[in-house]
Amino acid sequence: MKAWTYKRLMPKVLIARLQLIEPTDLVDLVGRSVEYIASALARTPYHKEIAEIPEPQLSVISIEEALLRNYIKTCQEIMEYSPKEIGFLLSTFLMKFEVDNIKAMLRAKWAGIGIDEAMRFITPIGRLDERKCRNVLENSESVSDVVELLSDLEYGTALKDALKDHEETGTLLPFEVALYTQVYGQITRATRKLKGKDRKIAEIVLGIEIESMNMKVILRGKSLGIARDQIIRSLLPMSDILNEKALETAVDSKDITSSIKSLLREVQVSAVRDYQYLLSDLLKEYDASQSISQLEIVLDRNRLKASLRMVKRYTPYFNIGLVLSFLNTKRVEVKNLRAIVRGAEDRVPPERITELLILAN
Amino acid sequence: MPILSSELTGIHPTRLELLRLRRRRTLAEGIIDILEKDLEALMATLFELLKKIQLLRSRVFETLKEAYSLFIEAEMRIGSRKIEEVSLAAKSVDFLLDVDTQSGVLGIQLPTIKLIEGKMETILPHVSILDTSAKLDESNSRTWDAIILIIKLAEAEASIREILDVISIKRRQVNRLQYRVLPELDKAIRYIELILEETERQDTIRVRVLQRKRKERALIST
Repeated sequence: MKAWTYKRLMPKVLIARLQLIEPTDLVDLVGRSVEYIASALARTPYHKEIAEIPEPQLSVISIEEALLRNYIKTCQEIMEYSPKEIGFLLSTFLMKFEVDNIKAMLRAKWAGIGIDEAMRFITPIGRLDERKCRNVLENSESVSDVVELLSDLEYGTALKDALKDHEETGTLLPFEVALYTQVYGQITRATRKLKGKDRKIAEIVLGIEIESMNMKVILRGKSLGIARDQIIRSLLPMSDILNEKALETAVDSKDITSSIKSLLREVQVSAVRDYQYLLSDLLKEYDASQSISQLEIVLDRNRLKASLRMVKRYTPYFNIGLVLSFLNTKRVEVKNLRAIVRGAEDRVPPERITELLILAN
Repeated sequence: MPILSSELTGIHPTRLELLRLRRRRTLAEGIIDILEKDLEALMATLFELLKKIQLLRSRVFETLKEAYSLFIEAEMRIGSRKIEEVSLAAKSVDFLLDVDTQSGVLGIQLPTIKLIEGKMETILPHVSILDTSAKLDESNSRTWDAIILIIKLAEAEASIREILDVISIKRRQVNRLQYRVLPELDKAIRYIELILEETERQDTIRVRVLQRKRKERALIST
């Protein structure tokens, strides 16, 4: 894409990037009280959302919600400043939050909780604003009614297709997989509409995001001893690098180490360096800790590192690399702040909180 | 303690009865001896179980503390709100317990509580694996460990209650023998001994009187 098409987007992202909380400042918040963190956040780009929380309602959940609303708002602002194709890709990103709302509604209906209680789990966004969500919850008696009432959205067909599986299995997993497949399918299609470097960068960054999810499912599934079919049903085989066959081979491997090795062999053949770094790190971490939750941290850290690497590998300006690296950094910042606030409430030892933070270095 | 005549009305003050009572006394003492040995064995088992319970309690506490810490870490990773939301669709974990008894110390039937293995499978993913963290699995696993320890604790506590019941019965039996049966036997033995002594004294006097009378008759006749 020509450089001038980024003339509005680049300054916006650069300013937003400068407003990110420095890792040292973030670590400095560890071990502080919830009130202290909230007042510290009032001096950051989160100030508006934090100020909207009435003082008596200041809690971990209200801060979490404020952080999430700020992240969504930032994504929407960047989308408005983006050229058409990048804007379209970012709009598919925002579908992830819509999907979260759909899952919350399905879970609420499944559990049979009241409408006001269910609304606590919903962060209104896009077509799923508060009125629509409330309307769906009020006019539905069961999960199938929710599916019916959402049929006017693009998720309708996927949800209807998953309804039969849901009735057979008696779980909400078919809906979750269908919704993720729908969203990541859209993201993949939006990525393919990009051209040149943008496409290359987006394919790697988003490919790693999808593969991270698949790896989490495979590794967790294997460690829990979940049936092969159930693991395979939960996968999102969308990447050309780790295709359906490669993922199935990893599922069929005898243990977690062999699963990682089989994926590593696969990416060595395709010679994609970023995937190789990720899997080598996974193998190293698993050998050291034998812990799946540590692997999840490595996967999250590598997702961030991969997007930051794109900025270094290609020119930092006039391509999507800066946008994706900023959004990933912001997402991780929100996750880290959430961890710090939750840890603060339960007085988790600061060193333990720091271990759980996702920091690029 | 004074001997009440009403308590002793049924006793035949004979030597045979005395022998029978003495044999009963020896038997009662023997029984007390056996019961006290049983009590010692029961007390030893009780103390062992108490030590085990203390250990189990601290292990349950530690395991639950660890499970809770891991749960907090899971909340730190994916958010408190998400965890609460995901829990709405969580399948409940059902498990069955097999409660039986087995022969323990002194052949006492002690309760055994076992988790039915087949039902362990229900712990497998009962929450969405796409939306949660492995920290939650670790927390679940530790909670499951705590449940197993709690079952062991319940088994040990039920055994303690059973042993305490038996100790209480045996203690009552010992007390009854020591403070009721033995004193009663002693009283009866003493009573018969007194009667027999009295009879003996009367017989001696009677013999002496007869001897004196025989001597007097012999003097008169000579």
